[in-house]
Amino acid sequence: MRSRGIPRILAVAAALGLGLGLSAGSASAADTIKIAVPAAYTGSAAGYGENVKAGVSVKIDEINAAGGVNGKKIEAVYLDDQCEPREAATVSSSVVNDDSIVGIVGHLCSSAHLAALPAYVREGIPAITPTATSVAISGKNKDEKGKIWSFRNVYRDDFQGTFLADYIDKVLGLKKVAVFYENNDYGIGLKEAFGKEAKKLGLTVVGEEAYKKGDQDFTPQLTKLKAAAPQAMFIAGYYPEGALIADQAKKVGLVVPKFGADGFDNADYIKLGGAPTDDTYLTAPFLAEIASPDAKKFIEAFKAKFNREVDWMSANSYDAAGIMIEAIAKAGPDRAKIRDYLAGIDTPEKGYKGVTGVNYFNASGDCQKPAFVKMVKDGKFVPAPKQMN
Amino acid sequence: MFEQQLVNGFTLGLIYALIAVGYTMVYGVIELINFAHGEIYMLGAFLTLSCISMGLPLPLAVLLAMLATAAIGVLLDVVAYRPLREAPRLAALITAIGMSIFLQNLAMIIWGSRPLPFPRQALPAFFAEPALRFSEVTVTWMQIVIYVTALALMVGLNLVITKTRTGTAMRALAQNRTAAALMGINVNRVISFTFALGSGMGAVAGVMVSMYYNTMYPTMGYLAGVKAFAAAVLGGIGSVPGAMLGGVALGIAETLGAGYISSPYRDGVAYAVMILVIIFRPSGFLGRSMVEKA
Repeated sequence: MRSRGIPRILAVAAALGLGLGLSAGSASAADTIKIAVPAAYTGSAAGYGENVKAGVSVKIDEINAAGGVNGKKIEAVYLDDQCEPREAATVSSSVVNDDSIVGIVGHLCSSAHLAALPAYVREGIPAITPTATSVAISGKNKDEKGKIWSFRNVYRDDFQGTFLADYIDKVLGLKKVAVFYENNDYGIGLKEAFGKEAKKLGLTVVGEEAYKKGDQDFTPQLTKLKAAAPQAMFIAGYYPEGALIADQAKKVGLVVPKFGADGFDNADYIKLGGAPTDDTYLTAPFLAEIASPDAKKFIEAFKAKFNREVDWMSANSYDAAGIMIEAIAKAGPDRAKIRDYLAGIDTPEKGYKGVTGVNYFNASGDCQKPAFVKMVKDGKFVPAPKQMN
Repeated sequence: MFEQQLVNGFTLGLIYALIAVGYTMVYGVIELINFAHGEIYMLGAFLTLSCISMGLPLPLAVLLAMLATAAIGVLLDVVAYRPLREAPRLAALITAIGMSIFLQNLAMIIWGSRPLPFPRQALPAFFAEPALRFSEVTVTWMQIVIYVTALALMVGLNLVITKTRTGTAMRALAQNRTAAALMGINVNRVISFTFALGSGMGAVAGVMVSMYYNTMYPTMGYLAGVKAFAAAVLGGIGSVPGAMLGGVALGIAETLGAGYISSPYRDGVAYAVMILVIIFRPSGFLGRSMVEKA
């Protein structure tokens, strides 16, 4: 009825073309090595895109200020996929067809990454996603020869879902939980892992409802969940909807601790949702309050440049860019060689020591990392008083 | 729980209805589906926000936003649709989609693409408090404000259409534009008036939604626009009371669908109801059975 995808793609392509043209003018192609950073820079997930961009840009500034890689400057090409699979598919074909791009840090959202993945695997360009946590990615990142092209330095949804169920049950001792999930790859992945672990623990899931991205009215589902009298609510989704859910839950009288995964970790969650967001717990791969000395240096640089607190997405993107640049430095600006180098980072000893801890990949390109728990208290994110271990 | 779901669905439905009258009035007069109407609704919310951040009190901010969006609606017609009045209908339809994308992106440039909260301090604190409580059912003051505003606007609109000279001219235009022009009706002025009226109502819907849900973002007009369009079709496109009925029916169907059938199929349930009605009553609840004009 109302097909608006194509004109928008054209507009975005035109804008990007303009951007690329301008940046090419400032430095000739031979002096720079390009990495693509596809993420959402417009649309409702743009807040995350800004975080990814911020983290990557701090790393690139740092590298270029120290003389670049083998005398060449690194340049990031920021491409907007709006976290939409159809936009991501378009972006992916422009990335693989641009020979000057040697690697990818992205995509941001799992559904966008999954849509872009076939092109990357087919054409052979290595990607590290700092944020896409869907389990499905691990099964779709190999080419016919079994080579992995997509890596990640973030934990998977099954880890987060399992972790949250454990935390609710073992640490907080709550026994009845309602699940409210976004009906997409991310939300369903989280929900399923959570449900499986809950069953194992004897944690009762008293109600399970879905919503979709961009919804504004959650009262029908919340009214239904409230009737099941849960002690906690797990919201498997992202912060823009999460903030509204917190607000509306209070309005329908469902006042229980709320739990979210990495998708909630954004200052806008509190700004949009206001006071009802208090008592929300979330998993985070990075906590600035308990960071290493190296990480403290990054936190300072980040604050100086952006005048705000570091969130985990920026920290993870900073590390993902760091890994990619190290691979370029060691293996040379060649897509296949970079991939081989990345695949070789397969033990903690060979791991890349970043601000989020040691990054290394297993046989399916995934990484193992600890999770921390943050919570919202009096309108601020603070480390939760009780951690998992 | 059932009564609570009805209350929630009724609130949502009234908002759809307010947007739907904008579609239906414009369709009635020039037979154009104004797809940019969802963006008018979105602009209503953002302009109110801007007025409030300039320090204006809420009622004045809403009034100014209404006038501004009414002017934008008229401008939209003058710039984009009037030059195509005699062109094939498809040309105007595509232009409408173009204007929708244009306005959406304009809003992203002006206000940024991230969702913004409605400034809480501008709202009286009691708005979020329960106003009525019958055992399990609560109705908040905000919901009552929505009911009163929406119903008052619709009664007012109906009076304008049935009792005033301009309203009579609008109905004449809907019946036959050439004959209306021959009777001395200033066609373009009446069309501008229609756009202004519909846009103003859309703006109020936008403000109320952003207050009720406490958020606004540049793409919010898309889904609301599609739903309201469905409501207009359900009620019988071209019929103002039909749009109101269609909006409320759709809102309640959607809420009950999410509450009792399956929340992943929430919108599916709403559209299924619309399709069923259209199968058995092709012109909607209150639509005239139209004879296709040559």
